[in-house]
Amino acid sequence: MEQELRKEAKKLLEEGKVDYIVGFATGSLKFSTTPLITRDKEEVASLVINPFIVNNLAKFLTQLPGRVGIVAKGCDSRSIVSLIQDNQVVRENIVIIGVPCSGLIDMVKVEKLVGRDRDEIDDVSLKGGKVTVVIGGQKTELPTEKVLFDSCLGCESPSAREYDTFIGEPGKETGGRGLGKDKIKELESMTTEERWEFWKTQFSRCIRCYACRQVCPACFCERCFVEESEPQWVLPAPKWQDNLIFQVIRNIHVAGRCTDCGACERVCPVNIPLRSLTKKMCGLVSEMFNYEAGTDKNAPPLMTAYEYEEAKDLIR
Amino acid sequence: MTIKKISKKDMVELLLDWGREMTVLVPSRDKGVTEMTEWDGKDISFLGWYRNTVIPTKSSFLPPVEEMFTFQKNGNGYQIEVSPGQGKRVVFGVRPCDARAIAIMDKVFTDSHEDPYYVSKRKNTVLIGLGCTNPYDSCFCTSSGISPAESTDVDLMFTDIGDDFVIEEITEVGKELLATASIVKKASQADAVTMKKARAAVSGMVTRKVDTKNIVDKLQACFNDSDFWEKVAAKCVGCGVCTLLCPTCCCFDICDELFKKQGARYRTWDSCGFSSYTKMPMENPREEKWRRVRQKVCHKYEFFPMNSEVIACTGCGRCIRLCPVNWDITEVLASVPAEQPIKNK
Repeated sequence: MEQELRKEAKKLLEEGKVDYIVGFATGSLKFSTTPLITRDKEEVASLVINPFIVNNLAKFLTQLPGRVGIVAKGCDSRSIVSLIQDNQVVRENIVIIGVPCSGLIDMVKVEKLVGRDRDEIDDVSLKGGKVTVVIGGQKTELPTEKVLFDSCLGCESPSAREYDTFIGEPGKETGGRGLGKDKIKELESMTTEERWEFWKTQFSRCIRCYACRQVCPACFCERCFVEESEPQWVLPAPKWQDNLIFQVIRNIHVAGRCTDCGACERVCPVNIPLRSLTKKMCGLVSEMFNYEAGTDKNAPPLMTAYEYEEAKDLIR
Repeated sequence: MTIKKISKKDMVELLLDWGREMTVLVPSRDKGVTEMTEWDGKDISFLGWYRNTVIPTKSSFLPPVEEMFTFQKNGNGYQIEVSPGQGKRVVFGVRPCDARAIAIMDKVFTDSHEDPYYVSKRKNTVLIGLGCTNPYDSCFCTSSGISPAESTDVDLMFTDIGDDFVIEEITEVGKELLATASIVKKASQADAVTMKKARAAVSGMVTRKVDTKNIVDKLQACFNDSDFWEKVAAKCVGCGVCTLLCPTCCCFDICDELFKKQGARYRTWDSCGFSSYTKMPMENPREEKWRRVRQKVCHKYEFFPMNSEVIACTGCGRCIRLCPVNWDITEVLASVPAEQPIKNK
């Protein structure tokens, strides 16, 4: 599959159909990958597809000039569609190379289950619905339900649906398992006071590195409200109240754009369960507006469209 | 240098002993992320799991958010109350990379101007080093002239030799701290040999390397090579993980919180990687991302060594471990062109 991908990427560059290829290459740490952004037709030989391709590459589309060929899993492709809807990306300027995805491995979950850090683990592989972990020659099999990212467990369409070419066979995966909601259910079962305390604790350790915002394809504002000083919506200082407000506003801003890729939670260096907010918000968007982000490139963006019936419940 | 030793099982007693006179900080993961936190007086399980904290020890001296003073409108003026300083503390478990980072920060905060907030915390804090036994694959301290299990940037240095720790008394302050601790024994010649062996073994475990030979010259030569820096910066998402969690990065921003007639002034971590950096006076001089990425690399490996004769990177590896896109400074440094670039912009 990787060979096919590399061939396709090389062809696109050689034929001048794209100026850049955006994909994944093997990272410098165990079980890591890194975005590969290149114009070099030889460099595409390092493109990979594996269960560690965790970044949402759609983020780079708004930063690159010219035409871009982009490797897309299901979540990347939904984010691309959402960017097209928002006029951030011109469909004709991109070539989407769809790739199949059977879920990405959450190494934090693996580390917890095997009691070792990732650099102490020899091998982790995903095959036939099982994840095999090897430590010192000893094999442990873990069910995917235990070790895939929550966002992957809840993913309805793991493979790209919007694409120009597809590597492998599209649509063979089993989506919509409806899993990955454990943390949200736990929060829903709390009292308001308990929930408030929970988020207070979580946001007390936020250092405002903005990694959540920076990796989010839906966060494409040229100037973020947190950086406004007149008026100052939130304090630049990472006080928990301001951290919470930052995240709440960010959530509302990405409503209808968030495709539940889970990147925000994945990159948080202080382990704030951010997807518990975004996924909840996606659920509300779905319930209230019957809208799934990134599924129809011709649909108007959620917040710009208005239907008369909505007035009954929303505007009083 | 005198060396002493203590049995690991006596560590609770030693920490309790110190705790009678001052606050004891130890590595903890109770708050959802590993950082130096006030010890609960019981738990020393960190001796088993602790490799290094996500939040570097710098946060004990330059916290992510620090109240500098409060103010209240009083007639035509303001009444200002300076926030209380730091009481006596001992930080146990500082890794050699983070200890060196504090020595580097000392230069920044005392060089031409003594920063009272930093200095008061620094003067009231005893640093106790704890040598690594299991460095991460992202660690590269040995390339910065640091040994993972040795440090003279602390007051006392602990080295794991199995059931015991060998303790080196580095400073007078450190020595005083052990003077009354009866559970600390004298170490033998054999212990010293074991310590040396243990240290050499850990050093060998740090396999990631950076060639720092002529790095200042090499970076100077490619400073204007925008093609190189654009390529290097392409995948950077411009967040603040690598800088905010770098043990030597100490840029800060200052902001006021005002509510009705009172408020407070805060000092907070800031990052040269942010596009909003230094926008408070006017503009960020580094508008494009590649200039900001270049700044981060060059500040550590070019400008700082030129000014202070030390590389401002201690090889702790946090920027590699925690980066959302696996932007790896060791790979970037290895790819710095060896010769003068032809193309300048």
